[in-house]
Amino acid sequence: MIDSMNGMMTMLRERGKIVAPPYDQALLWAVLLLLSFGLVMVYSASIALAEADKSFGHQSTYFLVRHTIFLIIGLLAGLVTFQFPTRFWQKMAPLLFLVGLALLVLVLIPHIGREVNGSRRWIPLIFFTLQPSELMKLFAAMYVADYTVRKAAFLHSFTRGFLPMLAVMLLVAGLLLREPDFGAFAVIAAVSISILWLGGINGRIFAGLLVMLVTGLVFLIWSSPYRLQRITGFMDPWADPYGKGYQLSHALIAFGRGELFGVGLGGSVEKLLYLPEAHTDFLLAVIAEELGFLGVLAVVLAFVWLVMRAFSIAKEAALYERNFSALLAQGIGVWLGMQSFINMGVNMGLLPTKGLTLPLLSFGGSGIVANCIALAILLRIDYENRRLAKGLPA
Amino acid sequence: MAQSAAQILSKARAQAMPMRLPSWRRRALLIGLMLCFAMLLGRAVYLQGLHRDFLQQKGDQRYGRTLSIFAHRGMITDRNNEPLAISTPVESVWASPPDVEITPQQTKNLAELLQIKPGEINKKIKNNDKNFIYLKRRMPPEAAARVMQLGIPGIYLQREYRRFYPAGDMSAHIIGFTGAEDIGQEGVELVYQHWLGGKQGSRRVIQDRQGHIIEELEEVKVPQEGRDLVLSIDRRIQYLAHRELAHAVEINKAKAGSIVVLDSRTGEVLALANQPTYNPNAPTNLAVSARNRAIVDTFEPGSTLKPFTVATALEAGTFKPDTLINTGNGKYSIGPATISDAHPVGIVTVAQVIQKSSNVGAAKIALTLAPEAMWRMFNQMGFGSTSHIGFPGEASGHLRPWQHWRPIEQATMAYGHGISLSLIQLARAYTAFANDGEIKPISLLKLNEPPIGQHVISAQTAKEIRDMLELVVQPGGTAPRAQIAGYRVAGKTGTAHKLLNGQYAENLYVSSFIGMAPATNPRLIIAVMIDEPSAGEYYGGAVAAPVFSNVMAGALRILAIPQDAPASNIAPVINAPEVKESV
Repeated sequence: MIDSMNGMMTMLRERGKIVAPPYDQALLWAVLLLLSFGLVMVYSASIALAEADKSFGHQSTYFLVRHTIFLIIGLLAGLVTFQFPTRFWQKMAPLLFLVGLALLVLVLIPHIGREVNGSRRWIPLIFFTLQPSELMKLFAAMYVADYTVRKAAFLHSFTRGFLPMLAVMLLVAGLLLREPDFGAFAVIAAVSISILWLGGINGRIFAGLLVMLVTGLVFLIWSSPYRLQRITGFMDPWADPYGKGYQLSHALIAFGRGELFGVGLGGSVEKLLYLPEAHTDFLLAVIAEELGFLGVLAVVLAFVWLVMRAFSIAKEAALYERNFSALLAQGIGVWLGMQSFINMGVNMGLLPTKGLTLPLLSFGGSGIVANCIALAILLRIDYENRRLAKGLPA
Repeated sequence: MAQSAAQILSKARAQAMPMRLPSWRRRALLIGLMLCFAMLLGRAVYLQGLHRDFLQQKGDQRYGRTLSIFAHRGMITDRNNEPLAISTPVESVWASPPDVEITPQQTKNLAELLQIKPGEINKKIKNNDKNFIYLKRRMPPEAAARVMQLGIPGIYLQREYRRFYPAGDMSAHIIGFTGAEDIGQEGVELVYQHWLGGKQGSRRVIQDRQGHIIEELEEVKVPQEGRDLVLSIDRRIQYLAHRELAHAVEINKAKAGSIVVLDSRTGEVLALANQPTYNPNAPTNLAVSARNRAIVDTFEPGSTLKPFTVATALEAGTFKPDTLINTGNGKYSIGPATISDAHPVGIVTVAQVIQKSSNVGAAKIALTLAPEAMWRMFNQMGFGSTSHIGFPGEASGHLRPWQHWRPIEQATMAYGHGISLSLIQLARAYTAFANDGEIKPISLLKLNEPPIGQHVISAQTAKEIRDMLELVVQPGGTAPRAQIAGYRVAGKTGTAHKLLNGQYAENLYVSSFIGMAPATNPRLIIAVMIDEPSAGEYYGGAVAAPVFSNVMAGALRILAIPQDAPASNIAPVINAPEVKESV
């Protein structure tokens, strides 16, 4: 107690010198900066497509306007989210997860889910189309974090600790692969496994899980020709540059054209209808072409910083024994990190094409809103950490 | 210090709580994620630094295009810079079906402007597989501009060039025409391809996927523009020649015809026309109509060659214009063969042999000459060799070496049989008579100064021949119809049986007339040849001479050449019935 009292005193003295802000300003500004940068790049990457296509009304600002609306909705959603204490999310986690599952089922039902390019991933609402898998990433992170905290005592046990989780996850995987949305599955799997790992799951169970996952992946790829095609296309895009390797080869060309400083904002040739999905999945290629290696470096470093920030917030929360918050913060960190890594890896030809957007930057309403909510939760966790540090209630 | 307090707190609680997150796992995961990002940066360095040349080259293959820059083909003009061949811009209308947005009313308007059926437009723009489809090619720019004024998205223009010949069929054989890729196929267009045709330039551009040029690269090959060409042709005389020839061919029901108008002082071709002709703006039926007969076809000239025989004799000094020759009863036997005059003329002077076109007289004169002397005269006059104006298929005619001449051959050659030449060769040879013995090279291009010719006969002989030729159009000659009011005319008729498979056809003729004016100081030479006149008349004096006089009269007036005779110089044909020449 005396120790703790001393600590408090030190803290109060520190407070007198530096007025610590009540929330993480750096994180907020980083997020706003990324969102703004994304808006600029989405506009740049989409002008040609929007002007050329009848279905976009030949309006060059078609995507700019929509992305701006999504950003406003996202920021409002973030603001609302920030008002809720972490406790609330922990309590709601199982329910939200069920809602997520329901949405994943709904999207598969014809006339409710909309199919685009052979994938049934969207539910058209009045104002915009909802992509349940984007929300599911957040709900899954919450659910697994809550599960891990609840089952902390049984994490060494295969049957009581691991098996229920595995069953739930296989259900989610099954639904996602029905769409199919392999990218979302990869992210959710990575997030879930990471949280289990951080929560202290038994080392042998973890190793077994990894082996199972790898064999499962191999089987999935082997069993589905469309995935196999994506794999071979990514191995050597130049073998069939006008067919299977078309998209990737154009993305790689965009990187090559960018060099160190890029061809200048707005100067991309690839975005002129050569590179498909330039404003969504392949936004990084446009960034690479227009802003060069420096642009890519900035984006990569921004995500590195975000992930490290999320982990340091988690570490802080762990110090206050707020395990759910710690695990959720790390889950969000892993989500942003893995999704940005996979997206960028796809853009650069390191990974097979997945259909994942670049978090915070790419065009896509559900993605942007989900990202904003997640980061608002991260800010909230940090906010509560700070309050605890000041001796205030969370 | 805040941390130390928190650590203390957590340590205190840790004992009470069952769960504690292992921090090494967090660090391991973080390191794993960081390694992933490091890998990305490594890959970016590879793509944007080390591998970039390969990638940029691939990119260039995808959207780099080498576009040709059209080199304007030179204009062809007549000697007064009137255009005879010009390249005009035309527009082709094309559509990108996926981008087309069109209302039924617009379709109707568009169809009207393009002069095609609305159904055809609908069929083309429904074809969504293609990004490029022509709706109408080579439209006049004004019409194309009206199409664009409809403002239909997805419809575009493409500029092309088209050769246009304002003179149409009237100068088709001289000018010729161009084919695809703007390369000359016939006539001057072909002969001067290297001069007229520019070298297409090229530029390297980057295109977007719809074909719009978005960036010009630095590799530009500047096009070499074609140069203009000024011909010796006078469009006004050309028109006249074309019109009169066409008229004569029609009324005489002839198979074909040619006319050549030369400036006798310079050898420039002022006009050259053939029948049948064609429209170079839309060439059809070329097998028959594209032959530039005046240049590529040869014929046995007949009596128009007699002046050269007489000139040889005058040069040799054995005859004078007034030397008497007995043509007897118009029959002259050499071995088994007999040369005959259609109308016996009895004892005549050398000048009258020309005037009345006596075959017997010409043969008798020829047989007094050494074959070599006659051959040399013909050779110097350019018979048997091309006139070097550069036309493809230019005929050289046929002049056999004198060593093998038999007397009968020498005798028939004296009046233009057993020898063949083209009309332009014949016209050129007459420049020797017009220019006091100097034969001029032929030119299709406008010359700044008269070229230096070759003196082949003396000025005296040339003058004497001109005087004889003047008699031809006088009463008692074969061609009074060649007379022209206000000018003295010198000329010669020719009427020859056509050679058909080595035999002279009994009722197929080539009628010709060649002459010059003003006779006192010749400025123009006109040669006319009518092939197979079949409306009754076939004598050169009746068929070809009127063409000559009409064209010559017009040309003299156009060129404002001073008259050398009173306007009342014409002797009516009724008073002076024309002499039928020997065939």
